[in-house]
Amino acid sequence: MKVNLDDPNLTAFALGELSPDDHAEMAKAIADSPEAQNYVAETQQFARLLRVEYEADRQQPADTIVKKPQRFSDAARIEAERRSSSRYQWGSLAAAFAIFAVLGALAISTIKREVGRGVTDYAKPGGPKENPPATVEAVPEPTVEMEVAQQPVGPATTAAPPVVSEFREEKQSASKDMAAAGKTRNFALNPSAPKPMPMMRSYASNGAGMTETTEFEPPSRYRQDFNTATYDKVEENPFLPAAANPLSTFSIDVDTASYANVRRFINSGSLPPKDAVRVEEMINYFTYDYKEPEGDKPFSIDLDATSCPWEPSHRLLRIGLKGREVANEKRPASNLVFLLDVSGSMMPSERLPLVKQAMRLLVDKLTESDRVAIVIYAGGSGLALKSTPGNEKEKILRALEELQAGGSTNGAEGIELAYKVAADNFIKGGVNRVILATDGDFNIGVTNQGDLIRLIETKAKTGVFLSVLGVGTDNLKDSTMQKLADKGNGNYAYLDSVEEARKVLVHQINGTLMTIAKDVKIQVEFNPARVASYRLIGYEKRLLRKEDFNNDKVDAGEIGAGHTVTALYEVVPAGAGTTDPAASVPPVDPLKYQSPSAPATTAKSEANGSPEMVTVKLRHKKPDGDVSELTERSFTDNGSKFENAAPDLKFAAAVAEFGMLLRDSQFKGKGTFGAVIEWAQEGKGRDAAGYRAGFIEMAHKAQSLKPREG
Amino acid sequence: MQSIGAEAGKMNGQQMDALLRRFERPLLQYATRILGDSDRARDVVQETFVKLQNEKREQIDSGPAKWLFTVCRNGALNICRKEKRMTYLDQELLETRASEEPAPFETLEQKEASGFLLKILGTLPPRQQEVLQLKFQNDLSYQEISEITQLSVSNVGVMIHNALKTLRQRYGRASRDFLPFTPRTVS
Repeated sequence: MKVNLDDPNLTAFALGELSPDDHAEMAKAIADSPEAQNYVAETQQFARLLRVEYEADRQQPADTIVKKPQRFSDAARIEAERRSSSRYQWGSLAAAFAIFAVLGALAISTIKREVGRGVTDYAKPGGPKENPPATVEAVPEPTVEMEVAQQPVGPATTAAPPVVSEFREEKQSASKDMAAAGKTRNFALNPSAPKPMPMMRSYASNGAGMTETTEFEPPSRYRQDFNTATYDKVEENPFLPAAANPLSTFSIDVDTASYANVRRFINSGSLPPKDAVRVEEMINYFTYDYKEPEGDKPFSIDLDATSCPWEPSHRLLRIGLKGREVANEKRPASNLVFLLDVSGSMMPSERLPLVKQAMRLLVDKLTESDRVAIVIYAGGSGLALKSTPGNEKEKILRALEELQAGGSTNGAEGIELAYKVAADNFIKGGVNRVILATDGDFNIGVTNQGDLIRLIETKAKTGVFLSVLGVGTDNLKDSTMQKLADKGNGNYAYLDSVEEARKVLVHQINGTLMTIAKDVKIQVEFNPARVASYRLIGYEKRLLRKEDFNNDKVDAGEIGAGHTVTALYEVVPAGAGTTDPAASVPPVDPLKYQSPSAPATTAKSEANGSPEMVTVKLRHKKPDGDVSELTERSFTDNGSKFENAAPDLKFAAAVAEFGMLLRDSQFKGKGTFGAVIEWAQEGKGRDAAGYRAGFIEMAHKAQSLKPREG
Repeated sequence: MQSIGAEAGKMNGQQMDALLRRFERPLLQYATRILGDSDRARDVVQETFVKLQNEKREQIDSGPAKWLFTVCRNGALNICRKEKRMTYLDQELLETRASEEPAPFETLEQKEASGFLLKILGTLPPRQQEVLQLKFQNDLSYQEISEITQLSVSNVGVMIHNALKTLRQRYGRASRDFLPFTPRTVS
């Protein structure tokens, strides 16, 4: 008997909600349906998970409820639809803004205090301190109420007093009434109860703005456009005829941010905007099993080709690089400066709190030879923790713990300070790196992007590299951050979850921190005798001019320890003719002053008959070097079919096609999400860390979001 | 501790405290969802506990959760009616229309990232959130939830079924990406 998995009774059964008779009947019905049994087990497991989460949530301090604006806005929005003129809507929106404003203002003053304290306390080791807490646990997270009490002077409280008192009077009379009506005092104000209605005070203080919002203007970005995420437009690489364009030159890229960002969209039930999808970052999110570098080479080159699964008459060429693995204990001493954005926009839990969690994970991996400093920036910037040995974890963690978001952003000033701290503590031969965590909104002060980028570029030359961790959604300045990382000899990862933080900062800590080769450029020469035209998949932002390849002044991407870098070309073989209209290249008018058989090509006419498909040239510099080294490999395509391709190649092809489908690319060919899932499954391999399984799951979700697809 | 339950058949202070500790926050969340306003929700919850204090023991002993949520819900709905505000009873609107949260990450602010699941929860229609909260936070049976919400038992079952289905889809990947770290070394 076939059990319907969409039967609510199956869920009821799993939760033990059926009457004994029905229960027995259902148990019998599912006895020979592994599918249904699986469903029941999963439901039960999920129910356990839910219970745990609810319980954890219930034990949160009650005052946190006040900060959940979605309840306000939810109700307000629904009501606004029903009633055109709604006083309440404005009231609640104003309240939400006011809460932001007040919290923001409070947090600014907190930061100022922290900064001041950080500098004075840590500048004098063992110096006097009002209240040196013994352990991290002993320091309570400062709550809103505490801050009000401790901060008699500050932008929030100076402006607020008259309103606060008015509001409090109201509240007091209200509770008097209640006390008269019943004996409320015993529980409402019972000091022995844990946090008995602590919201009373915080409401009073937060509520200040409810009646008066003009006093504090919330940071402008809250009032304007709520979604200011920006993605640079990506114009996809076209097919280029090999005869006219034999050289394809680009910089490598180990960024992975686009993948995590895309995943965030899909998990939240929508397909990402086209330009948020950068195919090369999706492909490079995964580590592939390329051969280890030989001798003392920093990396290996691994070439492979197969028939192109979404356009079988084409070939798919894969260029794989593998950076040398470095054992954890062999990682040189690290001088790290965390540069943390603590502006108001960083307040949500998936921003500063996530960043703090990520940093905790990283700090856990450090040793006494490493050093950590924390620079924060908001309206101003400051040193929250001076450079501290990596084994003084408590001190570092405490400094992290005390950070709170609030204020507006001056990224440039913070960056300057961070680089200065990094330079002051420079470890020769070690890892020197600024780790910037932000939602990327540099909106005050020196925000000319060009200036900022020049600054970073100059600093990168001093040997201090940059890692950028992007967080947040509505404000995400994806393009800014990508550029900063690019110019800062660094990498850019997007953190959408603590799991992702773990991948970037724990599993791949060496790759993230330790650059083993810099300014890595690839130039591919296609043999027109074998290749009619070709298309580089992704890397649109990494293209270089062919002259740039041998020019050591031109900056390019870095490769970290153990990193793999993958680039795919879709190749139309010579003489094969293509059925794909997207691959047909419009003819270029013949040249007037040159004949096609110019001396340059005849000189190599011998090689022209070569069976080789391509020659791949690679230039890199040592992390502290200025002169590049050249590596060269040739490759002959043996015409193998996709069915027989190596799992890694199948998987990379699946990811590439997935990206193109999400972009609705004109080059997506005959592929579908269904096919992507199939190829990915064939190419899943060992997948020890489970990342590939995660991809397959995401592809399933994307498929369900786009039902018109197979 | 001061005892207030001097009268026979009523709660004593200790029992009140225990219930307050256990249900204060769930009730606040519950009432906030109905009222769309945490300030009024707090008043309702306070009132609920006042009533609890004057309630006879036997009314409560069988199931304090059911009692508390019923009283709290009625109190909140009364305010809705009195103020002619958006009525939570307008079921059609609320049930069919997914909560407009653009993405789970946009919403809950204060907790660390471990509350991932709860964030997704916030994207469900309010009615589904309500039954899930009653079921999984407060361990109420379908029958009890039906009595509190005035929905039929089978309706409760359908809502929980659908809510779990959506949640699982959206939650999906969350914990898959993580496996214990084993450092790789150069051989």
